[in-house]
Amino acid sequence: MNLEINNLSKTYSNGVQALRDINLSIGTGMFGLLGPNGAGKSSLMRTIATLQEPDTGSIKLGDIDVLVQKDEVRKILGYLPQEFGVYPKVSAEVLLNHLAVLKGISNNKERRELVGALLHKTNLHASRKKNLGGYSGGMKQRFGIAQALLANPKLIIVDEPTAGLDPAERNRFLNLLSELGENTVVILSTHIVDDVKELCTNMAIINQGEVVLQGNPQEQIDTIQGKVWKKSIEKDELQVYKNKYRVISERLLAGKPEIHVLADSNPDSSFEGVEADLEDVYFSHIIGDDIVVGSPELENA
Amino acid sequence: MWYQIFKFELQYRKARPATYIYFAILFLLSFLAISTDAVQIGGGAGLVKENAPVTIATMMAIMSAFFMMITSAVMGVAVLRDFEHNTDSMMFVNPITKFDYLFGRFAGSFVVLLFVFTGMLFGFVLGEFMPWRDADKLLAFNFWHYWQPFMVFVLPNLFFTGVIFFMLGAVSRKMVVVYSSWIFLFILYQIGIMISQELDNRDIAALLDPFSLITINTATQYWTVTEQNGQVVGMDGVIFQNRVIWMVIGIILGVVGYFSFSFNVVRSAWFKRKTVKADNSTDLSVAVPQVSTSYGFANNLKQIVNQSFFYFGQVFKAVPFQAMVLCGILILIINSFFMGRVFGINTYPTTYLMVQNISGFNLFFLIILVSYTGELVWKERDVKINLIYDAMPVPDVVNLISKFLGLVLVYIVLLFSLIVTGVLIQTFNGYFIYDLPVYFSSLYTDTLFFLVLFTFLGFFVQVLVNHKFIGYALMVTFFLLTAVLRNWGVEHRMFQFGSADLGTYSEMNGYGHFIPGFSWFNLYWLGFAVLLFALSVMFAVRGSEAVMKIRFKVGKLRLTRPLLIMVISALTVFVFSGFYIYYNTNIINSYQNSDDRNADLAEYEKTLKGFEFLPQPKIIDVNMKVDIYPSDRDYQAEGYYVLENQEDHPIQEIHIQLNPDPQFSYDYVRFDRESLVKENYEKFDYVIYELKEPLQPGDHLKFEFKTIFETRGFVEGGSNTGVVFNGTFFNSFDFPTLGYNENAELAEDDDRKDNDLEPKQRLMERDDPKGLSMGMLGDDSRGINFEIVISTEADQIAIAPGYLQKEWKEEGRKFYHYKMDVPMENFYSIVSARYEVLKDKMTIEVDSIRKDIDLEIYYHKGHDYNLESMMKAMKQSFEYFSKNFSPYQYRQMRILEFPRYATFAQSFANTVPFSEGIGFVLEIEKDKDVDIAYYVTSHELAHQWWAHQVMAANVQGSTMIIESLSQYSALMVMKREYPQEHMKEFLKEEVNRYLSGRTNETKRENPLSKVENQQYIRYGKGAVNLYALQDYIGEDSVNAALRRYINDWDSFDKNGKYSTTEDLLGYFRAVTPDSLQHLIGDLFEKIVLFENKAEEATFEKLTDDKFMVELEVSSKKLEADSLGLTVEMPLIDWIDIGIYGENAEGDEKLLYLQKHKIDEGTKTFSIEVSQKPIKAGIDPINKLIDRNPDDNVKAVSEKAAI
Repeated sequence: MNLEINNLSKTYSNGVQALRDINLSIGTGMFGLLGPNGAGKSSLMRTIATLQEPDTGSIKLGDIDVLVQKDEVRKILGYLPQEFGVYPKVSAEVLLNHLAVLKGISNNKERRELVGALLHKTNLHASRKKNLGGYSGGMKQRFGIAQALLANPKLIIVDEPTAGLDPAERNRFLNLLSELGENTVVILSTHIVDDVKELCTNMAIINQGEVVLQGNPQEQIDTIQGKVWKKSIEKDELQVYKNKYRVISERLLAGKPEIHVLADSNPDSSFEGVEADLEDVYFSHIIGDDIVVGSPELENA
Repeated sequence: MWYQIFKFELQYRKARPATYIYFAILFLLSFLAISTDAVQIGGGAGLVKENAPVTIATMMAIMSAFFMMITSAVMGVAVLRDFEHNTDSMMFVNPITKFDYLFGRFAGSFVVLLFVFTGMLFGFVLGEFMPWRDADKLLAFNFWHYWQPFMVFVLPNLFFTGVIFFMLGAVSRKMVVVYSSWIFLFILYQIGIMISQELDNRDIAALLDPFSLITINTATQYWTVTEQNGQVVGMDGVIFQNRVIWMVIGIILGVVGYFSFSFNVVRSAWFKRKTVKADNSTDLSVAVPQVSTSYGFANNLKQIVNQSFFYFGQVFKAVPFQAMVLCGILILIINSFFMGRVFGINTYPTTYLMVQNISGFNLFFLIILVSYTGELVWKERDVKINLIYDAMPVPDVVNLISKFLGLVLVYIVLLFSLIVTGVLIQTFNGYFIYDLPVYFSSLYTDTLFFLVLFTFLGFFVQVLVNHKFIGYALMVTFFLLTAVLRNWGVEHRMFQFGSADLGTYSEMNGYGHFIPGFSWFNLYWLGFAVLLFALSVMFAVRGSEAVMKIRFKVGKLRLTRPLLIMVISALTVFVFSGFYIYYNTNIINSYQNSDDRNADLAEYEKTLKGFEFLPQPKIIDVNMKVDIYPSDRDYQAEGYYVLENQEDHPIQEIHIQLNPDPQFSYDYVRFDRESLVKENYEKFDYVIYELKEPLQPGDHLKFEFKTIFETRGFVEGGSNTGVVFNGTFFNSFDFPTLGYNENAELAEDDDRKDNDLEPKQRLMERDDPKGLSMGMLGDDSRGINFEIVISTEADQIAIAPGYLQKEWKEEGRKFYHYKMDVPMENFYSIVSARYEVLKDKMTIEVDSIRKDIDLEIYYHKGHDYNLESMMKAMKQSFEYFSKNFSPYQYRQMRILEFPRYATFAQSFANTVPFSEGIGFVLEIEKDKDVDIAYYVTSHELAHQWWAHQVMAANVQGSTMIIESLSQYSALMVMKREYPQEHMKEFLKEEVNRYLSGRTNETKRENPLSKVENQQYIRYGKGAVNLYALQDYIGEDSVNAALRRYINDWDSFDKNGKYSTTEDLLGYFRAVTPDSLQHLIGDLFEKIVLFENKAEEATFEKLTDDKFMVELEVSSKKLEADSLGLTVEMPLIDWIDIGIYGENAEGDEKLLYLQKHKIDEGTKTFSIEVSQKPIKAGIDPINKLIDRNPDDNVKAVSEKAAI
C-alpha cells in the first residue's frame, strides 16, 4: 500500500503558509520526516491523519481518498500527536481499553489481551492501575505510543515520538516501531536526525512548508560524501567564514566553534575532511541557501 | 513593583475581547431592561415610575447577582491563568513578592471588572433618554438615582465576590472551585428567599442575602408609591448591616486567601492521595496479538453505550457536580418546611406538592445543563486528548450522541435521587401516601423532556460557537430572548422552544386533559432539537482546525446516509407534529396572542360601551337543563329565563350577550314572542333583538336558548379547566347575559393605553344612581327563582344551588333535579365530580324558633383531613351568625371540593365550591396553627349573609360590605374557638397583606369605605380595622349595628336601591360612643397609620409580687393620601399599653393590657404588675396599622438601684 501525496498546500487563516505544494510518495516501511520546528511536519501529518483539511491537493492511501473517506483511513490508522493530554483521573488501563473500544475492537477478550500486551510493550504494565495524572512526561509519551498501536494499524503516524523519552526508552520504542510488519506505512516526524538514520528506509526533509529533499538516507549521505569539511575556529571569525564559505553547521566543541562547510574540494588546508552523515545532509538543505546572504538569526545564534 | 504587575494586567485585559464582550452584554441588557418591555428585570409595579430609585437599585442588584458569572470569569482567572497556561514557573521565578503579585493582579482585574460593570451604569443612564420612553412613567433624570445604588449595592457586591473568586482561583488553581463558590452564594440567596416567606425571618434573610436583593426588599417592603418614587434606598438599617457583613467577609476571605496562597509551582496536596503501588509485571517480550475489528452498527451501539457511561462517570464524579447536587437537595429539604404554606400553615406533603418542591431543583438542572453541555463538548480538547480521539474510526455522530446520552443518564439518576429525597421528606413528615406514579409521570416526562430539549440546544450552541464561555453566555441570552419574543407578541408555544406544559396536577383530576397537548408539543420540539443535533454533528470540530469555513466544508462530507435519515425523520416529525398542533390550536380551536386579544376587548368596549346602562328587563326566573359529559369535556345547557320589565317605561330592544368563547355554540336563542334581530355584532356575540311589541312595565317575557359547549382537540394554552374529567365547576357566567358586560373590559391601564382607551374607572362613585340600582353581581337581575336538572356520568354527582327534588338514573347517566324555594342571586354554580359525602345536621334555636340545617361536604376520596374542622366551622358559624345577625335563609349548606386549578372558595346560595388547594389538604397542627380550613369555611358561610342577604350596590366600598364584613364575621367565630395568639398571628398576616399590597397599588389607595376591589384593602385592612372596631366599641355593639343593617337592607325593594358603606357606617356610628366617634373616620374613611414605639422600659422590684414598670412610649398618627404621602394628625387616641411576663411553661403571657389615652408624642407610664415583667410596650398585639410593628414592645430591664 502506497501513500501518495500530490500538490498539497495549506494556508492557515492567520496567513501562515504551512504546506506548499507537497508531493510525496511513501511506501511501506519506515518513512522519516525531518525538518526544523515550524517547518510544517505536524501540519502534514495531521492532514494525513484526517484531522485537518488542505486547501488544495490530494492524498491517496492505496485506493482510499484520505481527504474524503476519512473513516476508512481512521480504521487502519495509528496516530500519536506531537502534543496531547490525558484524563488525569483515569488509569492507563481504563483509558486504553476505552480507546480500544473506539478503535472498533469489540471482542472483549481480544481487547483485554491487546491492551495488556501494549502496556507490556510500552513498559507501562506495572503502572497500569495508576491514574494518568500521576504519570511522568516519558510515561505519558509511552502511553501515547501504546494507543497509536491499537488495532494493528496499517498506517502509523507518529509525530515527534521520541521527545521526552530517555535513551533506553527511545531505543525500545524505535525497536518496537521497526518490528511492525513490512506491510505497514510508518511516518515518523522528528527533528532528531539520528532517529531517521537508524530506522528509516526513506525520508523527506521539509522546510518552510516545502519538501526540500526526498530519498533514501544512505543515498543522500552518499551525494555529499567527501564534500564536508570541518574546522575549529575562533568565535569572532564565524561571520567571516560564513560569508566566505557554505557553512552548514556550527557547534561548540570544548568551548570553541567547530564549523562544517560544504564544498566540492577542501577549501584550504586548515579544513579537515569529515565522514558525512545525515545531519550534514539535513543542514545542507535546511540552511544551505540562506547562509550565503547571512541570515541574521544565525548570526545571533 | 505591584504597580508594574497592575499595569501589565490592565494591558493584558485591554487586548482581550472577553473584556469588551462582557461590557457589551451588561450594557445591552441594562439598556434593554430599562428602556423596553422586551427585557424585564425586577421593574416596579403600578404607579411606581420606571426609573424610581428603588426600581433602579433592585435592577442593579439583580444584574450584579445574575452576572456573577462575569465577575467569576474576570476575577477567577486573574491568577489561575498562570497555572492554566503553565506560565506559573516563569512568573514565580521573578523577583517579585507575593504581595506585589497578588495585589497587582487583583487590583488590575478589579479595575477591569469595574469597567465591565460600568456597562450597566451607562446602559441604564442611556436607556433613560430613549425617545420611545413614556414620559408619564418616568421621573426627571437624576444621576444620583443611578450612582447611589451603584455605589451601595453593585460596588460592594463586586468587591466581596471579586475577592472570593480571586482568592479561590489563586488558592485552588481550579476554575470549577470558583464556579462552585458562586453557586454557593446563590444558594445562600435561595435560602434567604425561602425563609423570608415567614414574616418573622425577614430580617435574618435580609442579612443572609449576599447580593442584598432580599435586603432591599425588606427595607422597602412597606414603602408607599410616593416613597418608592422619591427616596433612594439608603445605607442604613438592614442595608448597612448587610453591606458591612459581606464586605467584612470579603476582606477576611481575602486575608485568609493571601496567607494560604503558595508561591510555589508545585505544592503539597491538601489530602494525601492514596498511591497505587506499581508491580513488576512488565514483560517487554510479549507479542502484540492480532485483533479483529468491526465497524458496523452493532459496534457503534456498543461504542455509544461505552462512551455514554464513560461521560456519565466523568460528570458524576466531578466534585462541583456533586457539590451542586448536594446543595440542591439541601435546598429541597429546607424548602420542604415551607411547602404549600398558607398563613403559616403546612400543607400535607402530598406527592404533587413534593413534585412542585422538586421543581425548585430546576435551577440546578439548568446550571448543570448549561455548564456540562459546555464541559462535555470541550472534554477532549480541555485535556488535549482530542487529536487522539478524533483520529479514531468512530462515526461523527457517536461522540456527540454519547455525550448527550451521558448527560441524560445523569439527569435520570438525579431525578431518581430527587424522588428518593421526596419520599424521605414525606416519610419524615409522617405522610405515607407515596404517589409514585405521580413522581415518575411528572419528573420523567415534564422535567426530563425539558432537560433533553435544552441539552440538545446546549450542544448545538456549544458546537457552533465553539467557545465555552460565549456558549454559556449565549445559553443565558437564549432564555432571555425567549422572554423577549413573548413580549413582542410571539407567544405561541410553537415559537417558544421547549415550552410544552404539563399543567397543574390535581389529585381529583390527575394531569387530566393536559396530556395530549403536552405530548404533541414535546414531540414537535423534539423533532426540532434532533434537527439541531444533526447540525451539531455536521459542524462539530473534529481535528485541529476550528475555522467555520473548514467546518462547513467537512460538514458536507459528514452528511452520511444515517445522518441524512436522522435529519429527514427529525424534519418529518417536526413538520408533521407542527401541522397537527397548528390544526388543533389554530384551526379547530382559536388562538390569539395577548395583543390581539386585548385589541378585540378594546374594540368591544369602543363599539358597545354606549349600551352599558341601557335599561333592560331583569331576569326573575331561571330554569335550566344541563347535560354534562365529563369524559368528553362537553356540556349542553337548554333552558329559559323569565324577564320582567321593572322600569317605568316600555322596553323594545333586548340586548343579549352570548358567550364569545369559540367553544360555545347555540342551537337556538329566541323569545316567546315575535322579534327580529336588529343588529348582530358577530365578532362579540352581541345581538340586539327588537320586540315586535314593546315589553310594558311589569310585563314578562320568556327568553329561551340552547347552548353547546364543546371541547375539540387541544389548545395552545389557557385551556378550559372548568369542564374536566373529574371536578367540573363552572358558573352562570357561561350562559347568556343581558346587555353590555363591563367585566370584559381591558383592566390594565397600560393595555388600555396601547389601545387608545382612557384609564379604567374601577368603580362608580358611591352616590351614582346607576351603581345604586344594581348589585355587585351585575344588573341582569335583582333575584331569581331557580330550578335546574343536571345530568352527568353515572359515577359522578352533579350539584347546583337549590334543594334536591329528585335523583334518577336513565340510559346509564345520573340526573339530579334541584329547586330553590326562595329567591336567590342570579349567580349559580354547576359542579360534577366523583365524590365522597359527609353528612351532618344541626338545629339552631333563636328566639325559640328552631331551624334544622343539613350540612354536607362533598370531597375527593382521601381528602378527609380537615372535614371535622370544616364541619365544626359550619356549625359554629351558623350558630353565631344566626344569633348575632339574622336567621339563615336556607335549610342546607354544601361544601364541594373542586380541583386546584383555582385556589379559592366561593359562596353560592346554599352551596360553597371550595378548592382542593386551600383547605382540604392543609396539615393543621391543632395547637400551633391558625386553622385556615375552619376560617375559610366560616368566611364563605358569612357570605350567605354578606352577599346573599345584603347585596352591596355596585359602587366604591361594595367589597367592604361583602368581603370585609365576612372577614369580621369569621374572625368573631374563630375568636371563640381559638386562643388569642392565633388571632394575633392571623392579623399579622393581614396587616402584612395590606402594607405590602399598597406598595404595588396601580392607581390610588382608597380608604376602606371606598375600596375598589383592592384585595389588600378589602381582605387585609378590612379584617384588621373591623377587628379594631370591635376591640374599641365592643363586639356586641358592632353586631347590634349589623343586625339593624341587615334588617333594613336585605332586599332591593325595601329602599329601592342597594346599600353602600355610607349606609353601613351610619349603623356603626349609631353604636359608637361620642368619645370614639373619630374612630369611624380613622378606620374606614381615611388612610391612617400609626408609628408606635416603646422607647424605654425599666422595672423596679417592690416586693416579690409587686413590680413597678416604667414605660416610655412614643406615638405618631399619620394620614396618608392615595399615593402614600403622609401628614401627621393630632393624637387623641386610646391605645393598648401592655406588659408581658412568663407563665409556668416559660411562654409569654400578658400581665397587663389596658387602653390608655395617648395625646402626646411621647408618654411615660408607671404600671404595677404582680409578676416579673419581661417585655412591655404600646399596642403590643398590633391592633393598629403600623409599618414597624416589631418595635412596639421592648424588653424590660431592671432599674439600677439608686
